[in-house]
Parts: sequence; structure tokens; C-alpha cells
Amino acid sequence: MTELEAQAASAVIRRGRASGFRRIGVAEGLSAAFLAFLLLAALAPDLISPLDPLGIDPANAFEPPSFGQVLGTDESGRSIFSRVVHGAGTSLLIGVAASTIGLGLGTILGVLAGSGGRIVDFGVSRFLEVLFALPGLLLALFLIVIVGPGALTTTLAVGLSTAPGYARIIRSQLITVRGSAYVEAATVLGLGRMRILARHVLPNTLAPLFALGTLGVGQAIVWASALSYLGLGAVPPSPEWGAMLAAGRTYLSTAWWMSVFPGLFIVLTAICATVLGRAAGNRTRRR
Amino acid sequence: MTPGWRTDGAPPPARWRVARAPLQLLVRLGGGIFVLWSVATLTFFGIRLIPGDPAQAVLGGPGSQASAEALAVARAEYGLDQPLLVQYLRQLARFATGDFGTSYSLKTEVAPLLLAQLPGTLLLAGLALAVAWLLALTVASWSTRGGRVGDWVGSGLEIVGAGLPHFWLATLLILTFSVGLGWVPPISTPGVPGLVLPVATLAIPLAGFLGQVMRESLLDALESPFALSARARGESERGVRRVHAIRHAALPGIALSGWAFGYLISGAVVVETIFARPGLGRTLLAAVTQRDVPVVIGVVLLVALAYIVATAVTDVASRALDPRRAA
Amino acid sequence: MSRPPRIAALLVAAGATGILLLTGCAPAASPSSPAAGPTPGGTLTYASGDAEPTCLDPHVGGNYPQALISGQFLESLVSRDAEGEIVPWLASEWSEAEDGLSWTFTLRDDVTFTDGTPFDAEAVKASIEHVQDPATGSSTGYLAMGKVDNVEVVDAGTVRFDLSAPDSALLESLSQPWVAMESPAGMTRGIEQNCESPIGTGPFSVSEWVKQDSITLVRNDDYVSPPADAAHEGPAYLEKIVWRFLPDSASRYAALQAGQVDVIDNAQPDALVAAQTEDGITSLDAPRPGSVNRIEFNSGKAPFDSEEVREAFIRSAGVDDGIESLFFGTAERSYSPLASVESLAYSDPAPFAFNLDEANSLLDGAGWSERDSEGYRVKNGTRLTVEFPVSTNQSIPAEQSLFEQIQATTKEAGFEVKLRLLDLGSWYAALGANEYDLVSAPYTKVGPDVLRILYHSDGITPAPSGYFANHAQVSIPELDDLLTRAGETSDATERAALYADAQAVVLEGFYILPLYDQQNHYLLRDRVAGLRALPTVSTPTFYDAWLAD
Repeated sequence: MTELEAQAASAVIRRGRASGFRRIGVAEGLSAAFLAFLLLAALAPDLISPLDPLGIDPANAFEPPSFGQVLGTDESGRSIFSRVVHGAGTSLLIGVAASTIGLGLGTILGVLAGSGGRIVDFGVSRFLEVLFALPGLLLALFLIVIVGPGALTTTLAVGLSTAPGYARIIRSQLITVRGSAYVEAATVLGLGRMRILARHVLPNTLAPLFALGTLGVGQAIVWASALSYLGLGAVPPSPEWGAMLAAGRTYLSTAWWMSVFPGLFIVLTAICATVLGRAAGNRTRRR
Repeated sequence: MTPGWRTDGAPPPARWRVARAPLQLLVRLGGGIFVLWSVATLTFFGIRLIPGDPAQAVLGGPGSQASAEALAVARAEYGLDQPLLVQYLRQLARFATGDFGTSYSLKTEVAPLLLAQLPGTLLLAGLALAVAWLLALTVASWSTRGGRVGDWVGSGLEIVGAGLPHFWLATLLILTFSVGLGWVPPISTPGVPGLVLPVATLAIPLAGFLGQVMRESLLDALESPFALSARARGESERGVRRVHAIRHAALPGIALSGWAFGYLISGAVVVETIFARPGLGRTLLAAVTQRDVPVVIGVVLLVALAYIVATAVTDVASRALDPRRAA
Repeated sequence: MSRPPRIAALLVAAGATGILLLTGCAPAASPSSPAAGPTPGGTLTYASGDAEPTCLDPHVGGNYPQALISGQFLESLVSRDAEGEIVPWLASEWSEAEDGLSWTFTLRDDVTFTDGTPFDAEAVKASIEHVQDPATGSSTGYLAMGKVDNVEVVDAGTVRFDLSAPDSALLESLSQPWVAMESPAGMTRGIEQNCESPIGTGPFSVSEWVKQDSITLVRNDDYVSPPADAAHEGPAYLEKIVWRFLPDSASRYAALQAGQVDVIDNAQPDALVAAQTEDGITSLDAPRPGSVNRIEFNSGKAPFDSEEVREAFIRSAGVDDGIESLFFGTAERSYSPLASVESLAYSDPAPFAFNLDEANSLLDGAGWSERDSEGYRVKNGTRLTVEFPVSTNQSIPAEQSLFEQIQATTKEAGFEVKLRLLDLGSWYAALGANEYDLVSAPYTKVGPDVLRILYHSDGITPAPSGYFANHAQVSIPELDDLLTRAGETSDATERAALYADAQAVVLEGFYILPLYDQQNHYLLRDRVAGLRALPTVSTPTFYDAWLAD
């Protein structure tokens, strides 16, 4: 999943070239609004939904969406809307933390490989191969054998397994930028190697990283939900989206709203992050 | 060449390549062995991080039903009374001879057990890859024709597809096509109908990823000089697409197939569980639940090996398809 | 939002609605009436939701999944009928010595194992010794044979069990699949081979085991030894049983609906309700004997070493509404330590009445009088936190949801329940490390003797397998005495009274919160006729079953 995601992300960023320029504003504005809504939900969920996300009401379990309960209720009569809102914090945290681990490690490795000598490059590239050979869920399951299940294990595993994808992108970006005209010009002007790296190469390489990371957030939540389904995920009754999706799947044929709405929020988050990522990619390119 | 798809940068000139082919093969082989060695090392020291008695860990952790005799046997088998370095070298030697130990829970040799599970998972992953590839190419080529609307629809489909968790999609497909329409069996059977849903479940999210990459390079190709010159020569738009663009678009897809493999293995854990298909993923999950350390290590190493082979194969395939690199 | 997201949203919503419509009008199965008599032949496919056993020999370890399948090819000395009476099986008659210290069994003389070895006193001796051998790693069978000192071969057709103390539960214990009779020649092959294909005297035998996929059982054509309450004699009707493992409950039910399998176990509450209106599917409810499903309080350490705190928890845990809504009326609330099928079950709802005020005053009285900013109670700077490891392999989703509801209701009284969903390995580890305050663990055994295993202080010490059964860590000399005497008396009235007293001690001491019987629901297609659950441990037996098509 790792390299692929990064590849997809890179492609998505570059897509801006072929389309989207004329429509800048509408899609981006709405995406930003949705993400701002999520951020607000993460920081102050009670402002949006004062209903207790853990407050049970067995008599009103499995209520379909209605005016009172816009997204329906779950098997314990808890409000799905309230749970989705209150779960935004945990879910985004898992996504953002995993992406940060992946991006952080990926950047270090990528920069090492792209700017070090041939030997360092060779060594790091082999190390990346090793990380690639351990698919995400496999790594997560192996970590579970060692340290036991939990949100931390999930986050760490997803982060670690996305790192090599990011590292490869950064490495090749670095190599491309290094060979570009303005860096050559700087070299001709007699600027030092480290200075060129710090002042010219890195900013141009790392700018698209934000965009890359945004796409990873949705994927991290999806993989965390897979672990929840396997019984190795988040701690109940935490309204984490992935755990809700996994729990609601049991009742898919009788109470579809239990899993469709949390799933919708995951997909919407991924879409909005991608749209914004594209926009960010365009900006950096135009500069 | 789009940056980032390959590690070794631009291909060397053709006359070099012939001379350097054996060397490249050697480097490739050496790289593969290095990856296997690293994974084996990681697993060896990873398992030592489990708190408590390593013999107990090998036999399934504190909750296992390991007798004192079993513990003694495990200590002897793994040489757990020896210095760590000796243990490590012995383990490497055992791996090199294909000896992965005995499954604590199934009480059988690990190597034959896993080899029996491998074909089922490879078949599932291979078919899913092919289907994902076709789906992605179809959506990409359709959406690049549809103008801005097509672009947005295609890209929306791809993002939604990529965001679908396997376990949820699987249930959706079972309820719709097995329970509702009765077209295919809900759980796996040896024949083709039983493969339809597992393959679709794995292929759809993967197609979402592949599609995003393919559409990009398809657009690149349609705007590229060779496509323009082909049009100038009077070739139809259809012909341009079929002959040049699709082939060009397929390249990154092929280059990514090696990586897609890892994604499919992760997905197989879930899909094999839901559709009750025997395979490596399901074996791994059962082993993790029972803390069957020898089986877990065996699966990790086998997947690493399969990954190495898969990347080598896709490398060869992309060389064959790439007009700039074909021999 | 711009176009694609809206389209995406519509697609998802449309997909979901589509499912609802489709499942609403599922194809009707052809109703087949088993009008004609039993017809021999055919292959039945069984789908189990339990974990695939790692060993088919129920002597090794000894859990319910093993009992389910081994009941088709292994048999016991005695069985139990629907009225709870012990009936002959491989033993035709038996007698207890005056002092209760030995039992003599007369064996059937016409039975052979499927490998050709004759079933005789030597085989009985070898089987019991196999269970008692620490190398076998038996847990359930080992505990059930706890009082058996020695098995003596009197002659080929007679065997004597010498006991260390009288055992009123010996016959019930022997009726269980975990101490079934196996061929001595089979057992000497070693654990690995015997796990692969144990050899018994049953109506079927193991023909092939494809790991992670299925086990194939074939009919034993020379079969002569059904239990006394079976519906027919001679070989079974079914030619073959394919035993599949389908861990996912939704696909398991879907496979039954599609007719891909004939019988499923572990039917979930939502599937049971759906099946009521589905043509061509019937259900078989076979609550397990032995213990009820309950939450046990670890009384061996704080905070549940205090009776007030245990009572406060029970008083503040409202479970009735939850059981009703989560199980859709398929599970009945229990107030006894024993399953409802046990005739000696003693039930008392009084200690379990929901009363939040009383819970609060109990906690105040126990010194947990302050509350922190989150509303949890605090004593000497420590929060009233209780660890609740839950095995995702043993607790179904509905039960996990019920535990979440208990977490929510007890929070009102100031308990912080830390629910941890764990896989089986981590769950055993947590129990072994005494890192639990609450736990729910099923335990199946024939008869009230299960009380001795679960609540006698001896049960705090682990069996050779590493498993200990007294999770509540109940250690009361008076209770130990009641259970010992109940286990030794041969007077039925006295036994009933002693067990009733013992159960009252457990209930009134607030050591457990009984929930409902161990759910054991089967769904089967109409073409399956004659299927019944064996009244020992409620496993389905396919000996009398046949296919009506």
C-alpha cells in the first residue's frame, strides 16, 4: 500500500496541471470548510453536538436517521452523529500521527539517500527495500505479537509502512531538483554544498510533502479500521471512526446507517484532503 | 520517465546494458538476499523484545498451555541457553536450509504448512491485481475522454474506491450479489464463481490507487509529441489511444505492481477471513491470535521472498513494454 | 462541496439503499418437507464460527470447538438424556462401591475402534491415563478426572475406577467429550498424529483435514454403539460431513441463505431474528450446560476484594434493557451461577436489582466518597478504575456491546471500567498475570460439579495446562466445604441442598453478575432432518440426521 499511496499522491498533485486551474476556489473552499468543521469537531466537539457520545439508551437502539437523530442511533441507542463528531479527534489523531511518523521517517531517509553520496544512497535504498518487503498489516500484526494490540501499535505500524513510499518520492524529487538549472546556477556562483541544500534544494523538495501527507491521513484511518475489524484495534467505547465502521458492519443488513455514515466521513476526509493537497501542489509549482 | 518510479534513475545506454547484464543480475540477487537477511534479523530480535521467557514466547506466550517438557524442548530446539550471537547464527543457518521450526499450535512443520497455503493467496492476489489493472485502465481511459466532468467523476470514483475498507466492501458485495441477487456464492469454493467476490473486494480499492496514477500518465501521453505526430500522420484518435497512450499509461501501473503486491497481502488477511478462503493471510491471523511465533516469522519471511520475486518480475515486464528500454 | 464528493455521497447512499431493497426480497428457498422416512446417503456441509481447533483430540486442552467436532467420531462411557438422567453408552452398566471410593463399569463387548482395535477395559484405562498425563496438556478433562486415582482392568469387559474421595459427579464428568474413549493404538502414535486424526468408536471418522479450510468426516459403516437415547440403530444415514470454518458471522449466515452450507453454529442474534421470517431455515437452540455466562469479579485484589464495592457495581450495572435490545429477545436474563438446563440451578434475583442510590451509598460507605473532575470516584488519590479484558474470540459483538453499556451505566456510580478488547493470546496473558478486575469466561461442564471447578479455592491454582478456572478468586472455607461435601455425597436430596447453599453463597457474596445462558444457537436448512443436540454438552449429533432431498 505504501509506495502506491505515495505514487498516487504524487500523481494527484501533478494532476493540477491538466485540470482544475479554472475551478480553483469552489472545490478548495468547500474542502477547506469541511476540514475546518472537522478541526472544530476535534477541538470542541460539544459545540457541534452537545449529546453525550457515550450516553446509552437501549430502548432507542437501532433507530434509523430521523429529524431527532439525523444519522440514527447504534446498537446501544447512542447518537451516531454525536459519535462521529466526538470521534473526529481520535480518528484524525490516528491519521495525522501515522502520517507524521511516515513523513518524518520518510523525509530523513529520503534526504539521506538523495543528498548523501552513492554509498549512503545505496545503503538507504536497500533499507527501504526491507521496509517495503513488510506490508502494512503484516507489520502491524508482527508488532501486535511483540507489544500487544492498541491504537499506538496501529499508528506506529501504519506510519512505518508508509515511510519508504515517501522516502522514495523525496529522494527522486531531490535528485531532480539538484539537477535543475537554478541549483546549477547556484553552484556556479560558488555557494557551498550545505547551503545550496538548505536554501534551495530542500524547500523545493519538501513543499509538496504537506500534500502527500493529507492523502495518507484517510488511508491510515482505513487501515486502523481493518485492525478493529480483526479485533485488534481501538479501545471501546471510543467513538473512533474505524472502530464504528467495524462495529456497524455486523448490522449492515439491518442498520446500514451505523457503518455508512462513519465510512462516509472517512471517505469525505480523504477527498477533501486530496483536493486541498492538489491545490497546495499547484501553488508550489506556480511559484 | 516520471521521477520516483524507479530507484536506479535513467537506463544506461544499450551497449552498456549488454555488458552489464550479468553484473546487474548479481546485484539484484545480492539485494534480494540482503532483504531476506534483514527481515530475518528484524524478526529474530523483535521476538526477543517480547517480555518474559523467550521459550514461553515461542510456545505461545503466558496464556499458552505449554508444559515444562515443551519448554525444555523449545529451549533445546532454539538453543535458548546459548549466547545471543550463537542463537542468532543458528537461527540464520536454520532459515537458510528452509527449516522454520514447528508450529506450536498446529504441531506441524512450518515450512510445508506455509508452502501449502501460498498458492491460494498468490492466485487471489494475482487475479486481483489483473482485475484492478483492467478496472483502473478502463476508468482512466473513459474519464480522460469525458472532459472536465469525466475527469471529476473518474477521480471521485478512484478516491472513493481507494477509501473503501476491505471488510466493509466485502460485506456489501456479499449482501448484494450473493444474498440479494444470488449470482455468486458468498463463501469461497474451489471453482471460479467462488473467486469472484474475494477478487472484487481486493481489486476495487487497489484500482482506485492505480487509476489515479494511470490517468495521470495517460494524459501525459495524449499530450506528448509522439501522440501529436501520430495524429498529424492521420491516425484516428482511437488508434492513438489504443496503440500509444494505453501502452504508455500501463507502464507506471506495471512498475507499481510490485508494490501493489504488499497492499494485496495486507488485504488478503481480511478477505481470506471473510470469505473463508484458506491462505497465508488467514494462517497469519490465526497464528497472531495464538501467538504462534514460528508461524508468524515464517509468513513474514515468505512474504518478503514473494515480494522480491514479484518486484523482479514487474521489472522485467516494464523493460519489455517500455519502448525506451526494450532490448 | 463540488461535484465529485456529492456524486460519491450519492453513490454510497444509493448502494446502501440498494442493499436494503435486495435483502428485503431475498429469493425464497424451496420448502422441502421431510415427509418420507429417513433416507441414507448424501453429504452435509457444516459451517462453524468457532476458531478452527489446533488439535482434534479433545483430551489436549479441551475446549468447545473440539467437543463440537469430536462428538461425531468419539464416544464416551455414558451419556445423558433429555431428562438429565445418565444413560448407557459404551458402558452398559455400572455400580458404585459402598464407601463411594470405587466405581465398576461393565463395557459393551461388541464395539471396535475405527482402526480395528477392540474397545475394552485396556482402552478405557489408556484413555483416562492419557487425559491425566501432564504431557497431554489436558485442561478440561484433567479437572473433570481430578478425583480418579487409578483405573484398574478387572477383565476385558470390566473396568474399575479407584477414587481419592467419593465423586457424585463422576458419571456426569465421564459423559463429556473431553474424556471420550480413544483407541490406545491411536494415542501411542504421539500427540502430533493423534491431533490430526483421533481414532474413536463413533458413527463417523476423520478422513481428511485441510488446515484453514475444512475437515471431512466419513461414515463408519461398522458402527454399532449409539447412546441409549438415540433414534435409530446401526450406521449413520449421512455418508459424509464437510466441516468448514467460517469465522465471519455475516458471511456464515449468507452462506446458509444461499444454500452453500446446511447447518451453521454460533448464529448471531440479528441472524436469528432474520431467520424467523426466512423460508427454508429453522433454528435449534441448545443452551450449554454447566456455568451461565456471567461477569466475574476478581475478589483477590482491590477494589473488588471489598464486598461493598462488588455490590455497588452490580447495583449500578443495568443490563436488562441491553440484553433485550441487543439479543432481540433471543437470550433470557439469568440470576443463577448455573445454566438453566441444570436441574440443580438455584436462582435468586434479589441481589441483582438495579439501584443507583444504593450503589452510591455503598461506595460512600466503603471509603470511595470523593469524585474527581471526570466524575469517577477516588480514594486516597486512587481512581476507582477496574480492568476488564474481553476476549474477542469468546464474546460475540452483542456481548461486547453489552459490556460497553455496563461501562456506561456503572460510570454513573463513579466506576471507570477499562474495557480492553483482546485476542485470545493477550487475553490469557492478562488473566495469567492477574491483570483483571472483571472478566467473562465461559465454562461448560455437565452437571453442578462445575461449581467446584469455578468457585472452590483450589481453582485459583493453575491446572497443568496453565489455565485456572476460579477467576473470581473466591476463597471461602465454608464454600469449599459445601462444594466438597456436595461432590462426595451419594444422597441426591442432600446433594441438591448442598449445591443450593453453595450457589447462594456465590450469589449473595456478589462474586458474579449472571447474564444469560451460554448462547448456543444453530440454524439449519429445511433439508436437514433428525438433527438433535446431545443433552450432555449440547453439541449437535449428526448420527440420526438425514437429508430430505
